[in-house]
Amino acid sequence: MNAFFSRGMLLTLTAATLNLAACSDDNDADEVAPAPEVTTVSNLAPAAGGSTSTGQPATPKHYAFFNLATNKEVPYTDSASTKWDIAVRATTILVNGGTSGPGKGQAQVVEGLFSTLTSAPETGYQQDGATKAIPTGSGKGWYNYDATTHLISPIAGKVIMLRTATGNYAKLEVMSYYKDAPATPAATTPSGYYTFRYLYQPDGSRNLN
Amino acid sequence: MRRLAFWLFLASTPLAATAQRPLAPDTTVRRLALREVVVTATRTAKALTEVPIPVTVVGKEQINAMGALRLNDVLGEQTGLTIVADHGRGVQLQGLNPEYTLILVDGEPLIGRTAGTLELSRLAVGNIERVEIVKGPASALWGSEALAGVVNIITQKPQPGTHGNLRLRYGSNRTADLGATFNTKGKRLGLTVFGNRYSSAGYTLRPESGTATVPPFANYTGQARLTYTLGEHTNLSFSGRYFWENQHSTLPMTGEDGSTTDVQLRGRQLDYSLNPVLTHTFSQKLFGTARFYHAGYRTKEDYTYTATGAPYDATYFNQTFTRPEVQLDWQLHPQHTLTMGGGFLTETVSATRYDQRQRMYSGYAFAQDDWTPLPSLNVVAGARFDGHSQYKGQLSPKISGRYQVLSWLAVRGSAGRGFRAPDFRQLYLNFSNPTVGYSVFGTHQVREKVAQLAEQGQLARDGATGELLINQTLLDQASSLTAESSSAYNAGVQLTPGQKLTLGINFFHNDLRDLIETVAVAQKTNGQSVYSYRNVSRAYTQGAEVEASYQLLPGLTLSGGYQFLLAKDKTAIERLKAGQVYRRDPTTLATERVTVADYGGLYNRSRHSGNLKLFYQHTQRGYSASLRGIYRGRYGLQDRNGNQLLDADNEYVAGYWLWNVAASKTFRERYTAQLGLDNALNYTDAANISTLPGRLYYASLAVNLGKP
Repeated sequence: MNAFFSRGMLLTLTAATLNLAACSDDNDADEVAPAPEVTTVSNLAPAAGGSTSTGQPATPKHYAFFNLATNKEVPYTDSASTKWDIAVRATTILVNGGTSGPGKGQAQVVEGLFSTLTSAPETGYQQDGATKAIPTGSGKGWYNYDATTHLISPIAGKVIMLRTATGNYAKLEVMSYYKDAPATPAATTPSGYYTFRYLYQPDGSRNLN
Repeated sequence: MRRLAFWLFLASTPLAATAQRPLAPDTTVRRLALREVVVTATRTAKALTEVPIPVTVVGKEQINAMGALRLNDVLGEQTGLTIVADHGRGVQLQGLNPEYTLILVDGEPLIGRTAGTLELSRLAVGNIERVEIVKGPASALWGSEALAGVVNIITQKPQPGTHGNLRLRYGSNRTADLGATFNTKGKRLGLTVFGNRYSSAGYTLRPESGTATVPPFANYTGQARLTYTLGEHTNLSFSGRYFWENQHSTLPMTGEDGSTTDVQLRGRQLDYSLNPVLTHTFSQKLFGTARFYHAGYRTKEDYTYTATGAPYDATYFNQTFTRPEVQLDWQLHPQHTLTMGGGFLTETVSATRYDQRQRMYSGYAFAQDDWTPLPSLNVVAGARFDGHSQYKGQLSPKISGRYQVLSWLAVRGSAGRGFRAPDFRQLYLNFSNPTVGYSVFGTHQVREKVAQLAEQGQLARDGATGELLINQTLLDQASSLTAESSSAYNAGVQLTPGQKLTLGINFFHNDLRDLIETVAVAQKTNGQSVYSYRNVSRAYTQGAEVEASYQLLPGLTLSGGYQFLLAKDKTAIERLKAGQVYRRDPTTLATERVTVADYGGLYNRSRHSGNLKLFYQHTQRGYSASLRGIYRGRYGLQDRNGNQLLDADNEYVAGYWLWNVAASKTFRERYTAQLGLDNALNYTDAANISTLPGRLYYASLAVNLGKP
């Protein structure tokens, strides 16, 4: 039994209440660690930031911070700690390292299928700096922006390889940028709501199978 | 009398070499006398049934029976031709985009393309004798742009006597067309004049968008040709054309704060041309033509705020094309006819997005041997060399042959090279987007402009090494841009079993190289890129075309055509094979690899297209009618799942039929009334097809003046 979830269970987090399944804290040391599980997170988004003078929703004030090991959102007040691994706001994804935080976080975007990328690359990771480890901009990182429909679509076949705040490896794929991941989002669908799946390897190895 | 008229007609045709030389007293003369003659395939007059390459001819009678007004109406109903909309309506031929088809008027190119498309509705058809469509590359004779084929519009030549006609047509969307022709020809002097006004209130398919799909416009065409017989063997012809169009529309502009402001657009475009042609028959075996052609194309767009009248934006584009050319047709031997020629071309362009007035030069020469080793075998071989001031020279060879196997069966085949020169924007563009901040430079100055930006500190540097973010390989490629080219093969059979049935089949394959695409050569400090162009893409189009025509009753002809087409990007196929293309299921959000089998090919190509037509003509009673069904099979519109290629069902537009019907009656051989209905089933697809306004009614009245 993994620290957090029963086998095959997909956990859903809502933006408002991060409703976590019961976690067992009694992690038996002599228990053989089973293979890490793929976890899907829905609607990770920062708190709304009010509205602009024209009534449009404004950019949220803070990022939504997330811990991959615990599968929990972390309050923004902990942003200067290593309690979080990634943070999202609008189309930007931060990793906890470099200019973004005190952790060992690094990332790179690789091409492939999430399921068949079974080991993390040894090299090629970047820290957040003047440019982000997960590049921003249409077609440069994880998403495309359509100037006609004004929609943000995660690019199929782009997988984000991560080193977490503590230096462990993980892989992550963004699946939707819209609230409740509708099949055909409209320009008016609330955006900035990340649905993603990830696999976190707690043992420090690059094995992501 | 009719034959005499024909000989006079040919004598006044600059390209009518065969008229001057002795013809074997076989069926050729009879077929020529039936006017089934084409000049575009070999640059000499040749019977349509005997040319070794696929050619379609649409004559005046058919154009009238269709109730066609503009060139796009005519071309859109032909087998293997599809009207596609991209910065105007152009023609797709053998699956290739409009920029690969050369459009000629009486053998001289029409200029003024926008993003590669020459707006076909600029051409009125009221004075057209016939339209010739050559399929497959013809660069060996016609040079650049004749990569997919050539459309040559042959206008009316002065005919003996004095006569004219007036024609008025009115229809849906307040579309009005008023045209007049005048013809006179005496012993030495001949004149034709054509005038046309065409206007429409336009139409709006999506009222919610706030803009008209086609805003109101009015355009005017004037064309004239003067012919003069200088001597027994020498003829002079002088033609001119003038066209202008005004369009007016309101566009809601959305500002950065989300508010909208109405902006008025006043657009004006015009084109003109002058074309003196001198022909001389040196002997029965040698015929010469000297031509001069000057053409101009201008557009001007003024945007002003509706509320205040203050200027919002203004753009202009001015292009000229000047070329002298000579051609000799020499019957070297009873079995060999040589055609040789050469010319010198100067083009200029000045526009809002170009640094200064740009000028480029090109010289070319061509030669062709039309060889008839056996009465049943004809081989045409030729080549053309185009030298150019801006890109490397192009040699375009071509060979074609036709063999009459049986009296009712002929086979033909051809192989040739086609090319398309980089256009003005690819050569000279100098554009920096003021709001977004990216830059685009043509090949001519990209190196210099990148260096300039580097000097001004506008280019980004690599954080680690401090080097400028310039991709030297791509920059080298961008500054040595060359022409796009193709190797093409056509093979087919022509069948005429019996008097009533004709059947033609043609297979084609076009292998395209060095297709030009946009590339980012450097990064700017503002996070944007510097773009230019490079030759990179490879693609192919291939397919088969079948055409059949059957005379059901005297005067009643049923015809049908079908084209099967595959058009694919070779680079995309390689990426698919390497497993580098992905897509996400929108419902399950699962990502999968796209397979080669999922790939639908290039956008905007219908795998299946065709037509079914019924034409009826009763000359004595003056009745004429037509029913035409045009089918366009489903085609890819745009990428919707982010992988930049056509692979998902929702990326296609559904196929459709358009049914058009027209009927006319001529009274007293002078007055002709016509009623017509286009798109009778009222098919529209407002979301995807802007060029289908729905059902259109029209009525027209034509009056012939003088003795035709």
